[in-house]
Amino acid sequence: MITRIERNANTEINAGEDEVVARLFGTIREHLRTLKRPLADSLFALFIGLLIGAALMLVFGHNPITGYISMLKGFGLFIREGSFNKTEFLEALAYSVPLMLTAITFAVGMRAGIFNIGAEGQVYMGAVAAAWIGGHLVLPTGIHVLVATAFAMLVGALWAILPAILKIFAGVHEVISSIMLNWIAFFHVPYLIIHHFAGAYAERTAAILPTARYPVIGASLTAVIFVAIAACVVVYFLLWRTRAGYELRLVGDNPDAARYAGVNIRRAILISFIIGGMAAGLAGASQVIGRPLLGWTLPATLGTVFGLGFSGIGVAVVGRNHPIGGIFAALLFAGMLNGAKFMEYDFGIPSDLVVAIQGVIILALAVPTLLPMIRKWVKKIGRKPK
Amino acid sequence: MKLLNSKGIASTTVIIVAIIVIIAAVAGVYLVVMKPTTAAPAFKIAVVSDIGGRGDLSFNDMAFKGGEEAERDFNVQMVELISQTEADYLPNLRIAASDPDVKLIVGVGYLLTTDLVKAAGEFPDKNFMGIDTYTKWVAVEGVKEIGETLPNLLDIVYEEHKGSALVGALGALLATYYDKPYIGGVFGIEIATLWKFEIGYKWGADWAISWYENNHPDNAAAEPTTSIVKTPTKERVLYTYTGTFSDITKGYTAALPMYEENAIAVYNIAGPLGLGINSVVRDIARRDGLEQGPPFWIGVDANQDWINPGFVIASMMKRVDRGVYNATKWVKDNTFRNLVENYGGQVTLGIGTTVAGTLTEGISISTLADLDEFVQMGVKAEELTGEPVLLGSPEWISTKVSTMRDAQPSWIWDAVAELEGKIRSGEVVVPLASTADDVAYWRNILG
Repeated sequence: MITRIERNANTEINAGEDEVVARLFGTIREHLRTLKRPLADSLFALFIGLLIGAALMLVFGHNPITGYISMLKGFGLFIREGSFNKTEFLEALAYSVPLMLTAITFAVGMRAGIFNIGAEGQVYMGAVAAAWIGGHLVLPTGIHVLVATAFAMLVGALWAILPAILKIFAGVHEVISSIMLNWIAFFHVPYLIIHHFAGAYAERTAAILPTARYPVIGASLTAVIFVAIAACVVVYFLLWRTRAGYELRLVGDNPDAARYAGVNIRRAILISFIIGGMAAGLAGASQVIGRPLLGWTLPATLGTVFGLGFSGIGVAVVGRNHPIGGIFAALLFAGMLNGAKFMEYDFGIPSDLVVAIQGVIILALAVPTLLPMIRKWVKKIGRKPK
Repeated sequence: MKLLNSKGIASTTVIIVAIIVIIAAVAGVYLVVMKPTTAAPAFKIAVVSDIGGRGDLSFNDMAFKGGEEAERDFNVQMVELISQTEADYLPNLRIAASDPDVKLIVGVGYLLTTDLVKAAGEFPDKNFMGIDTYTKWVAVEGVKEIGETLPNLLDIVYEEHKGSALVGALGALLATYYDKPYIGGVFGIEIATLWKFEIGYKWGADWAISWYENNHPDNAAAEPTTSIVKTPTKERVLYTYTGTFSDITKGYTAALPMYEENAIAVYNIAGPLGLGINSVVRDIARRDGLEQGPPFWIGVDANQDWINPGFVIASMMKRVDRGVYNATKWVKDNTFRNLVENYGGQVTLGIGTTVAGTLTEGISISTLADLDEFVQMGVKAEELTGEPVLLGSPEWISTKVSTMRDAQPSWIWDAVAELEGKIRSGEVVVPLASTADDVAYWRNILG
């Protein structure tokens, strides 16, 4: 931990406990100040996304207001049966777990200036790793969960180290290598499931033993959400409160300055991939040992883990590539995705529309960054004839 | 963001305004929605599909077909819920069961078994039915033990082994006629349901060869070495489990080597993968300039003869549509719960089967009479995808299929009919392989 004394004109620096409190308030105010703009941007983008979603619904002959009311059911609201509210809300929370984690994978990559889009494959590998430990090994309660989780994170990290090594030592662009590794995992994991890890049923892994399951909090939510949130907080601390994290962010913000400052760029990239891989591995594990809805197993079709890696990219963007922002973005996305089935059931609105809305939100965040670039380019063209 | 700042609006203001708008919207909407509405209670049934959903031209489509016929005949409304991944099963079942108008929830497919039990436990006042499910034999914590049945949950299973025996016999007899050494089978995921198909198919082929040797001993002896009669028993059926019910290309890659080895017909036991098998046959037809088979393929679940008329010799029809239709009728007549109790939670539909004294069958080999019904399924698929599915007009299809059937010697069709009669009367017993031990035993004999 770096210890810094902040001199802030608005806080009094007192000795002892008061000093800690003052520093804390200073930090929070600092954060709030820097938070305002990205939060405003995200809310604005959300608004644009919903607006265009409403337009799409109108074009296809649906009522956007009732449509969105249905979508809000995904958060547990507006459902008439009293017993349902809690279930759906907990469902949304459970859905947000893998999303906030795969968001870390992409976000930490972006912070280091790299495109780690290998979360998809890392999730599959983490999931099958957890399925193996959870279904085929016998360990005491508590330890079993820990070992399964830790092993899944390790495997996810190892799968992420491959593109890292390829980039560091061979200059291979991580987009190519991580996408290819996604596909390798996509075929390899079902092979492992069907031929090595299947249990009583041929098309999925052996059921996770009770000793390896996360304790259920309610509906589909287990204690794994605490692990996920803790992981986000830990990543935050790593990136903003440690030297290695600072260096990582510097490599992403200004690679030249980093090089001049003598930062070990290779190490920073490696750390970024490792953190991303561990987060994705945890996301995969959460769907196998941490989510009762999915049956305490991993199917060979990968239906329960497919798409989480890519969804994480969108969540990361809306969370502004910040691990804590990712938590909120994940909750938003999860609620919306959970609500998609209500839109479909109540009004026949295709559930893909929710994904489209989320896509527009992401675009709305990307476009503003493009605007100054376009302006510069137009100016350049205007100057040419002279 | 440049846009906001250039207008001079502070970011703080945007956030505050956004939060106020959101709260106001939610509150306003809440007030509007929570007003009680009066509506006439309708009778709805919900059909929750397996992965693959509509357009598979077999399993799922059959279920929806049954639902549509129930709509027409029983004045009910069918709600469709498509499962895109396994994670959708339970949410779909729940959301259907939460609708106060829904009286019957159908889960289509073996993979929905556990989730059906969970949902049935959560909604004891609703009726649940599963196609190909084995809910009696699963345990769900807090709901039921293995061997117990729930009063509101019914499994409808089929005698696929009997139907597969019929098409196995058909395939083997065609192989004797055309002097081909093999018949083939392309399977999906290796689940217990498919073992019934596999062993039934092989057994039927074996029965047919024995029948041929007994009834036409001179012909059998005079068969060339390329004929299936001369192929060792355990090698007669080329088969593979592709591990998927949705990847059509795997149907192609699995069937191709079988046809290259001169299999006369390949049986599709993998739903939409039949389209992959069809691609191989279509390529061969194009290459050799054929108007009709051989080579043939054999359809499954629905009547698939119309998909490539002249090249689909027959289909092993599993009347999933009748299952859904009958279940709706039982719920409407209020006999559903009695049936669950009397039949121990599981009703079997097959050849010669009865339910509550009424002949209620569910397995048959396709006939020309069924063809028209199922051409409609193709018409619907065209509407759904916007792409042409039917190769020609219904009349043209009908003519091609009957031409193909007439081109085969009548003794082949007679033999298959004889087998069906013997199965119905109980004179022959088609083995039902439901456990790994059964399968191992029969594979040891039949390959």
